Amino acid sequence: MTKPKISSDWMAGCAGCHMSLLDMDERIALVAELAELRSTPITDLKHPDESGVDVGILEGGINNTSNEEVARLMRSRCKILVALGDCAVFGGVPAMRNFFTLEETLRRAYVETESTDESGKIPSDPELAVPTKVRAVSEVVPVDVFVPGCPPDADTIFYVLSELAQGRTPDLKGDKLSWY
Amino acid sequence: MVTVTIDGKALEVPEGITVLRAAQSAGIEIPTLCDHPHLTPYGGCRLCLVEVEGYRTLQPSCTLPVSNNMVIKTNTKKVLDARKFVLTLIFSERNHFCPYCQVSGGDCELQNAAYHEGMTHWPLQPNWQPYPVDASHPYIIIDNNRCILCRRCVRACDELIGNFTLGFEERGARSILVADTGVPFGESTCVSCGSCIQVCPTGAMIDRWSSYLGHEVKFDSTKTICVACSIGCGIEVFSRDNNLVRIDGDWDKPISSGVLCDLGRFKPMVEKCDRIFTPMVRKNGTLKAATWEDALSAAASGLKSARPKIAALISTRQPVESLHLFKQLFADQLSAELATTLEEGAKTALLASSADELGKPFESKLEELKSSDAVLVVADDLVLEHQVAGFFIKRNLPKGTSLVVVDKATNNLGKLANKSLNPSSGSFEDVFVGLSAAVAKLGLAKSKKNISAETLSKAAAATGLATEDFLDAAFLLASATNPVIVYASKALSSALRDFASLINAKLVSLKGEANSLAASQLHLDKPFSPAGVNAVYVALGDDEITQKMVKEIEKIPFKVVQATYASALTAGADVLFPSTNWLEQTGHYISADGHVQEALQSLKPAEDVLSVRETLLKLAERLGLSLDENWSKDVHSRVAPVLIEN
Repeated sequence: MTKPKISSDWMAGCAGCHMSLLDMDERIALVAELAELRSTPITDLKHPDESGVDVGILEGGINNTSNEEVARLMRSRCKILVALGDCAVFGGVPAMRNFFTLEETLRRAYVETESTDESGKIPSDPELAVPTKVRAVSEVVPVDVFVPGCPPDADTIFYVLSELAQGRTPDLKGDKLSWY
Repeated sequence: MVTVTIDGKALEVPEGITVLRAAQSAGIEIPTLCDHPHLTPYGGCRLCLVEVEGYRTLQPSCTLPVSNNMVIKTNTKKVLDARKFVLTLIFSERNHFCPYCQVSGGDCELQNAAYHEGMTHWPLQPNWQPYPVDASHPYIIIDNNRCILCRRCVRACDELIGNFTLGFEERGARSILVADTGVPFGESTCVSCGSCIQVCPTGAMIDRWSSYLGHEVKFDSTKTICVACSIGCGIEVFSRDNNLVRIDGDWDKPISSGVLCDLGRFKPMVEKCDRIFTPMVRKNGTLKAATWEDALSAAASGLKSARPKIAALISTRQPVESLHLFKQLFADQLSAELATTLEEGAKTALLASSADELGKPFESKLEELKSSDAVLVVADDLVLEHQVAGFFIKRNLPKGTSLVVVDKATNNLGKLANKSLNPSSGSFEDVFVGLSAAVAKLGLAKSKKNISAETLSKAAAATGLATEDFLDAAFLLASATNPVIVYASKALSSALRDFASLINAKLVSLKGEANSLAASQLHLDKPFSPAGVNAVYVALGDDEITQKMVKEIEKIPFKVVQATYASALTAGADVLFPSTNWLEQTGHYISADGHVQEALQSLKPAEDVLSVRETLLKLAERLGLSLDENWSKDVHSRVAPVLIEN
């Protein structure tokens, strides 16, 4: 039997969930024995295999058109999609901006910051991704496994990966279930 | 009793209780949010839905009374699905993002409920509607974004405190928690009792002091009593690394059942004073740090040479143990000319002489207020002092309890009273003579008493009140089944006692500081005068002292002071001992209505800081005297105004 393939990517998050993944320490070797780690933001391969992977993991919420593309690509190339961390599951800290209009947020970020002089302007290059409201991954593409946490514990991530690598669906409860 | 079956378990439960309470009594857990054991059921959150055989829809167990042969199921798929759905709706309504909330991680009942149902995400996203945050209050922050509209805070404000400050504006999803008519919380009628934050299940109401200092599981907690006044409310003190974090009311303590006032809950948090950490002795005119050995020697030799021209003063915030040792050392062993308290018996001397005269206790327990249908408050402003007693009265007013206030000064309870009597002249005695006469005239006297016909008009003339005032007040009080009179001791006279017996009223008085009654029982209740005294010993502890008294003490040549905080008094001391504060010491207190309770140490004192009790023992040893630590007999050596329950 071939080993199941795992890919991951990140979007509107802080990379903390991937750091927590690295916090598994030597258990990463165990995961690598059970599964084949393919594209991730912290390995050389940058896109999930065109032929598809078994498990796709997404960190971060979706806050612009580029994130949407990343999410759709991962969804189209994986069998099981995992939303990793509070941003992917709920929208998380970036979603705080949803309580304001997009224009207000951009103005605050690019024009009204204390360190910005009168030349501050909102970037409008057509090549840039268009910012949107911050959404949880499940609002854009269907998600199969939700792993909340800010970030999820390394133990929780190890449990989720080892269950998925062995063809089981992780069941998060008790001390493995923490939104923060 | 009725029989109900819950999850296949047959139970005998009292008629009239709710399905939720019946389940809880059998150890069957039903999750709740708006329910609180000390508040009336509300049925607002719908988390406690259960299936009842024969009912078309799921029922909220918190408001559904049991009926005979009811069959209830709490864990069917239909119920579990409904719970998740209810939680989903609550989460979707406002900003319930846990990572940026103070109570997340164990202290949030909403989050805990979601964990309990195994929710890994929200099937519905929030609507991103921002709600107002009100941070105008000195102690409390209202964040409507975290509110789940359970109205526990509103019910606590109404039912426990009787203050009716909190309420809701708008309807449905637009509902927001407001103070009064929508004024900033800090400018509202709020009395800062903090009951609202103690009952809030989420982070919608948080207190400024303890916020973001960690979760409750990380705190050390001690259940003890408040010593801010003579009521003796139960409190739970939370600390972290020996730092005070928060004070909550203790729901399980009978005196106030979880209710506190701002003095008990918030004042200890915000108080900032210079602590005294080391003993000091005056040498060549200046106070210098010294060892305990040197300071005790200096105190002992000064007191010895002044003997018996010694005056000794102790704070009534000190536990009975300290008061008892103090009395033995100064009054009995050193034969000091004067051993008394900083209150000088002002709040208790009249009560003690009444008890002596009658030869038995004549007052009742404070809890009588909870079931009273008419209350007479005399010369005590329970909005400013002993506030919790005021809460007991205020919260009963909507239930029809009548309130009569008699005061010569402006009394804040006056505007809530059915009848407020403000005598412009005469004495309180005249008022009670008049009230008795009015009761007799109305034919409502519960016992026979000969009162001449012109007594009422004489009393009216003496007090400047109209006879109708007397008749109105007398009618309200005398027609009640359980009238209670709460009075300041200065208003006590045989006329008051006669009036009470005429209408069968219970008498209750509050006694000043936490241990004023114990001090009175130990005869520490004389007025202080510095005349002819050569040495003074002031066991101040963490109490405050009046400027007037400091001025008088300054006249005395040799001054020994034990204090927690630096003040004008400590600056003038010849020998200064550092003292623990109330949280750092252990000891017993006798409440205004005679409950004997133990205060426990909840924080550790700094090294070199001793309690008044430890210091008195060391000082006695230095003087070659031995003291008896058994105080319980001595507090009964005198008839008390109220039965003291050990």
